[in-house]
Amino acid sequence: MPILSLIILTPLVGALLIAVLPSKETDLIRRTALAFALLAWVLSLGLLAALAFGPAGFQFVEALNWIPDFGIQYKVGVDGLSVLMVVLTTTLTWISILASFKPIKDRVKGYMISFLVLEVGMIGVFVALDLFLFYIFWEIVLVPMYLIIGIWGGGNRLYATMKFVLYTLVGSLLMLVAILATAFAFQAGHGGSWIGAFDYQALAAWAAGGHFTENLQILAFLALFLAFAIKVPMFPFHTWLPDAHTEAPTAGSVILAGVLLKLGAYGLIRFAVPLYPFAAHTFAWPIIVLSVVAIVYGAIVSIVQPDLKRLVAYSSVSHMGFVTLGIFAFSAAAYQGAVLQMINHGLITGGLFLLVGVIYERTHDRTIAKMGGLAAVMPLWSTAFGFFILASIGLPGLSGFVGEFLVFVGSFGVAPGIAVASIIVMVLAATYLLWMFQRIAFGELSEFLRSLGGHLTEIDRTELITLAPLAFLIVVLGLFPSLVLDLLRAPTQVFLAAVGVAVGG
Amino acid sequence: MNWADLGTIAPVVVAVLVAAAILIVDMILPGRRNAILATALGGLGVVAVVLLAQAGHTGKAFGGAYSLDNLTVFLDFLFVSIAILTLLFAVDYLESRGLPLAEFAAILVFAVTGAMLIAGSTDLLLLFVALELMVLPGYMLVAFARRDPYSTEGAIKYFLLGSFSSAILLFGLAYVWGITGTTRVDGVAAALAKVVAGGPLAPGLAMGLAFMSAGVAFKMAAVPFHYWTPDAYQGSPTPVTAYLSVGPKVGAFAIALRLFVGALGPVKADWLPIIIVLAAATMTLGNLVAITQDNVKRMLAYSSIAHTGYILVGLAAYAGGQQSGISAILFYGAAYTFMNMGAFAIVTALQRRPGVSSQISNFAGLGRRDPWLGALMAIFLLSLTGIPPLAGFWAKAYVILAAIQAGGWLTALAVLAMVNAAAAAFYYLRVVSYMYMRDPAGDTEPSSPGVLFRAGLAVACVTTLIFGLFPAIVTAAKSAADALHV
Repeated sequence: MPILSLIILTPLVGALLIAVLPSKETDLIRRTALAFALLAWVLSLGLLAALAFGPAGFQFVEALNWIPDFGIQYKVGVDGLSVLMVVLTTTLTWISILASFKPIKDRVKGYMISFLVLEVGMIGVFVALDLFLFYIFWEIVLVPMYLIIGIWGGGNRLYATMKFVLYTLVGSLLMLVAILATAFAFQAGHGGSWIGAFDYQALAAWAAGGHFTENLQILAFLALFLAFAIKVPMFPFHTWLPDAHTEAPTAGSVILAGVLLKLGAYGLIRFAVPLYPFAAHTFAWPIIVLSVVAIVYGAIVSIVQPDLKRLVAYSSVSHMGFVTLGIFAFSAAAYQGAVLQMINHGLITGGLFLLVGVIYERTHDRTIAKMGGLAAVMPLWSTAFGFFILASIGLPGLSGFVGEFLVFVGSFGVAPGIAVASIIVMVLAATYLLWMFQRIAFGELSEFLRSLGGHLTEIDRTELITLAPLAFLIVVLGLFPSLVLDLLRAPTQVFLAAVGVAVGG
Repeated sequence: MNWADLGTIAPVVVAVLVAAAILIVDMILPGRRNAILATALGGLGVVAVVLLAQAGHTGKAFGGAYSLDNLTVFLDFLFVSIAILTLLFAVDYLESRGLPLAEFAAILVFAVTGAMLIAGSTDLLLLFVALELMVLPGYMLVAFARRDPYSTEGAIKYFLLGSFSSAILLFGLAYVWGITGTTRVDGVAAALAKVVAGGPLAPGLAMGLAFMSAGVAFKMAAVPFHYWTPDAYQGSPTPVTAYLSVGPKVGAFAIALRLFVGALGPVKADWLPIIIVLAAATMTLGNLVAITQDNVKRMLAYSSIAHTGYILVGLAAYAGGQQSGISAILFYGAAYTFMNMGAFAIVTALQRRPGVSSQISNFAGLGRRDPWLGALMAIFLLSLTGIPPLAGFWAKAYVILAAIQAGGWLTALAVLAMVNAAAAAFYYLRVVSYMYMRDPAGDTEPSSPGVLFRAGLAVACVTTLIFGLFPAIVTAAKSAADALHV
């Protein structure tokens, strides 16, 4: 059974089905979207269960010729890393769709279609094994997100969505040039035959043989790095992120932080580093330094943010810094920590955005200064918010801790000073998050909140349902990180072999 | 001339007959729009059938002046599609403005006849005559709304600069004839191969090359020879603009293929730098100016200049030694034809009632007040931007691929093209933003286009999607490009 194609097609079929439903049937549209998202989720869980842990390399590979003239294929396959990302995507998608039931009242049909198409693109990026196919899915992600921010976003949405699109496009179009140049180098090295020129496995094997010239590696790596660094986003390419997050609807922010940022990190792990190992080594130090700058800068800037969503957005910059640090430390622990951190960030930040969305629904405001004393009126919400904040700080026992700890351990051997600097930032994280929590949850009920009176209702059942799976996973992965790490064992070996670090180190 | 020659140029002959038939029908049954439409569309259908019968065949006519090959058939198909789509999009527009349909259809078919003749010309003189046959009706089309001063102004500008550039091109052709002693394309190529073996270019040939480049650059609206474009495009009746943005442009590239590739292929190293500079200037300037436009028609006019630049990258890739540059040009031409005509068609639909301008503010809220038109416009604009999996993406990808393969300066050109494509996203998506992210303002009446119009839109949209999902169609462009193997 072509399970991967099935997972990709499920949301697409859902989107097409919704397209022919009458726009007035908003409830039916919402339920159909949720049903297809849940179906994709169940299928991806089946995939997770069916994946064999042991062997290196890709499983469930499907390949079809698409453009034989250039050797471009529809080729998909997964390893432990991609499966984790696919499950993260499908989980966050149905949660986001459920979380949009109440807030999105206008043009529901277009919204749900956009979300399902978005899911198609995201899953496609994580399973594509043909560079051209990867690029296409990468671009497909762009359009629905552009619409989601631009149509259902906040007051300054036009500016934010255009900035998001232009940043991403500049990076991705240069990436296309790099992909084509790589394929051409492969083709020239194979006597002019295009067979396999876009095939990831063939290219990775060719790269492992050291066949790509240093010149090509440097240029292509820089182009890919730019595209992925914009998406992650790494300092100094992050400036689109706070705007996009602030203006996006709640579910848009969840997906943006939860999955879209991971696309960039996944691209670095899967493509930029293994295909151009020489360049990856050449630029490892500058990238590590940028990562630490991002960790520190994101944390410091978060402290002074007056807007709840903006604060969480900047904290993303800081947290994703750990991911890029872990990737370029080139050690087993750091790699696994980076991937774990990707998942954790998706779960935790997703939860934080959902909780901020709950408050915004009731107050139509996100200014921290106007809040205060929420613990008294919304104790359940405050408890949940406190839980996700502690997870975000990296409280031991919750998943956030394990990822950052592994990155710390893994990068300590490579660069002790850098690792220590980054770990000190965790104190900063505690500062800005706990201070923010204190300001909004404790003390007297603020003037502004009092004026809302009965509108300030406790978090409802649907909202709790969207948070429950995230909280559950945060606890489970915090206590049993080996659930993820076992899956990552084979990909870790492959990754380290590709960058030429002694396996098992 | 003999019967075999007539058989070889049958599509051109049939097209001329169709144009004549339209005029005769109008004379016998004056004012019967349906009869005229039936004649025109039916006649173009017959041309298409004749082309189908010719597909795969090769032949020469008139002592080698005209040749039938895969390239001719490919381009002819494109030109017939352009004519049919223009006609479908024009009917409502003309009727609501009281403009005559028969003259429009006849002039259009004559213009397309010229374009089809270009496609098959393998003689410098025939090439020139065919070019004039294509552009003269074009001037008339621009001036078609003769009571509209803008239409007249655009036509005069187009006519003056157009005839000027034709003269320059002819001058260049004369130099080539003087040096090679022949006007046959293959003869010129053979003579040049001997003349230029190793040494620097003869001054006369260099002059000829410069004049011909300038002449062709005028026709395809490449910077800095583009000044006529925005005024002619904005002044023309919108369906004419749709035609102008693709018909004469693809025609000009057909000339470039027959002339630069067919005849001047042996000296391609000498014209490569010219094309690189033209391509770089054209896409960059076209995009930069398009960004500042508030009128969608004018924006599309400047963006069509930018697309000329991208197509020129394909020509440069050919000159850089990559045959795949030619198939990239052809694929781009085909993809661009359908997506750009589609975009102009939506502008036409909005302007169905006289007096509605093509200002971007008129697009506000289109996605809400007219979901189908909005969605189609979004598809066309995203395709023009180059978002996969739509036709425009593959068009750019193939061009870039050829350029990167050629290497050297062309890699830099490919990077520039991609930076330009990102900049273009700004103005294309700006229209999408207006359609979907702003509330309807002012004119909110649905445009409810007619059946023919919808059929045309469906064709443009389906083609854009099919080219996007089955990009292996490039094989057709490839076999057409192989006809030029020299």
